[in-house]
Amino acid sequence: MESVTLLECRRVTKRFGALAAVRDFSFSLRAGEILGLIGPNGSGKTTLFNVIVGIHSPDGGEVLYRGKSIAHLPPHEICRRGIAKTSQIIQPFSNLKVFENVLVAALYGRNLAMRQAQEETERILMSVGLDGLRDDPAGKIPFPLRRRLELGRALATGAEVLLLDEVMAGLTPAGVEEALEILKKIRTQGRTLILVEHVMRAVMGISERIIVLNHGEKIAEGAPEEVARNPEVINAYLGKRYA
Amino acid sequence: MTMSRHPLPSRYILFVLLTGGIILGTLPLFGLEGYRLRLLSLVFMWVALAGCWNMMSGYTGYIDFGPVAYFGVGSYGTAILMIKGGLPFFLSVFLSGWICAGLSLAVGLPTLRLQGAYFAIATFAAAEAMKQVILEWDGVAGLEFFGGAHGLTLPPAPPEVFFYYVLLFFMGLIVGLTALLERSKFGYGLRAIREAEQAAELSGVPTLGIKVRAYVLASSLIGCIGGVEAYWLTYIIPDDVFNVMRTIQMITMTLLGGMGTVLGPVIGASFLTLISEYLGAKFVYDYLIFVGGVIVIVILLLPQGIMGTVLRKKGWSR
Repeated sequence: MESVTLLECRRVTKRFGALAAVRDFSFSLRAGEILGLIGPNGSGKTTLFNVIVGIHSPDGGEVLYRGKSIAHLPPHEICRRGIAKTSQIIQPFSNLKVFENVLVAALYGRNLAMRQAQEETERILMSVGLDGLRDDPAGKIPFPLRRRLELGRALATGAEVLLLDEVMAGLTPAGVEEALEILKKIRTQGRTLILVEHVMRAVMGISERIIVLNHGEKIAEGAPEEVARNPEVINAYLGKRYA
Repeated sequence: MTMSRHPLPSRYILFVLLTGGIILGTLPLFGLEGYRLRLLSLVFMWVALAGCWNMMSGYTGYIDFGPVAYFGVGSYGTAILMIKGGLPFFLSVFLSGWICAGLSLAVGLPTLRLQGAYFAIATFAAAEAMKQVILEWDGVAGLEFFGGAHGLTLPPAPPEVFFYYVLLFFMGLIVGLTALLERSKFGYGLRAIREAEQAAELSGVPTLGIKVRAYVLASSLIGCIGGVEAYWLTYIIPDDVFNVMRTIQMITMTLLGGMGTVLGPVIGASFLTLISEYLGAKFVYDYLIFVGGVIVIVILLLPQGIMGTVLRKKGWSR
């Protein structure tokens, strides 16, 4: 199947002082795929996400979306072009209702007028299963549902590419199962996903391709089974003895 | 109870605004005059000023500690345009509003990149700086323009009832704008910034752009009201029109009434103006002690402000 390259990083580097959190990182993302991004704590996964969505500017290299450089655009502009992110540390608009949280993203991310944005919000709340809580303040709903709200907000921006930073962290096994169902559904709507995840079973099961980061560098890339057998990956995760 | 999707039912606000406007608009026809008329005009002015501060700081959470800068610039702008330019009053006020818009754009663009306390400090410093510029200009430049510490005298003012209507207009305009803002795209953007700025930016909200727009809108309206007060009092000096107490009053009134609510500044400003006036007449020298006491009690009992507490009780989130 012929597919378009949506997002591309070319030798991206991000330094914090003397520490290179991401070093010489390159990859490309095809439309419609689910890419898993794994690596030990501090390996640069979240930093890479933050560079792509414009929270950090890269110190070197290029980030291209649909062939155009986006590396130095402000985050809201990158969002409007089609890349949205959920954060590992969730940031709901706590005093706004669940409905209004998603509405903000529909209004600004998709640049819709009020009426259309409200309709879009209804649709999104249904699809992430939050329509029953629409009038509750976002800061008051249970924690796992706040993660889902974060996902709903990202969806409402209309972004084609979703960067999901640990959407399954802190969920029960049943919650993970539910989350996976939602992700599969999202994918059938023609969105492209990058998952950063610590729940290995989940990420291995759903991703078509995995990239492994360690100390800010790519150490492996390939199908989930290949990557799981890669000695360098086992070394990074479990130490030399197991490799 | 059926819950509204909006922060407050729109018909309710429209009803309050219209009836309030009609009643207040016809009062002078039924014998309101003298001290009472003047007092009500003063209430309108403070509701309008607190309303401007609320529009910016109440909705974005960015505490503007220098709104008085634009009050002062508006006062001086109107005075100079009328005295030296010979322009009519309304045109002078209108132009002063635009002067404040330009100035607040220049102040807002760099300072609204700062967060939290830093923005408050920067705006406070900007206000003090503008006061000093007007105070020292004549001495430094060696010419008669702003009148230094002696201030400026404006042409004789029309009767009191003129200012009653002008200030009623500004109050209505600002309360009405806030009510529109509550349910508009712009308003949702502002509140998203208050709740979680980075998440707002990541959801596509151009945070810097809309913060600056809110700041410029509030500042230019404050400038217009400064111009109205200058003509009303006919005599202005920097120490009065740039007095930091004016800033503190706008903030206190909004906090008392409820930040980020349409009616908060209306209630807070009316309450504080009337209680200061009442206590000021009873205890001429030490009334401020009592005013301070009242503020402390209200804030302890109602930390969300009067309106904020009411809305919470009724189940309408702010």
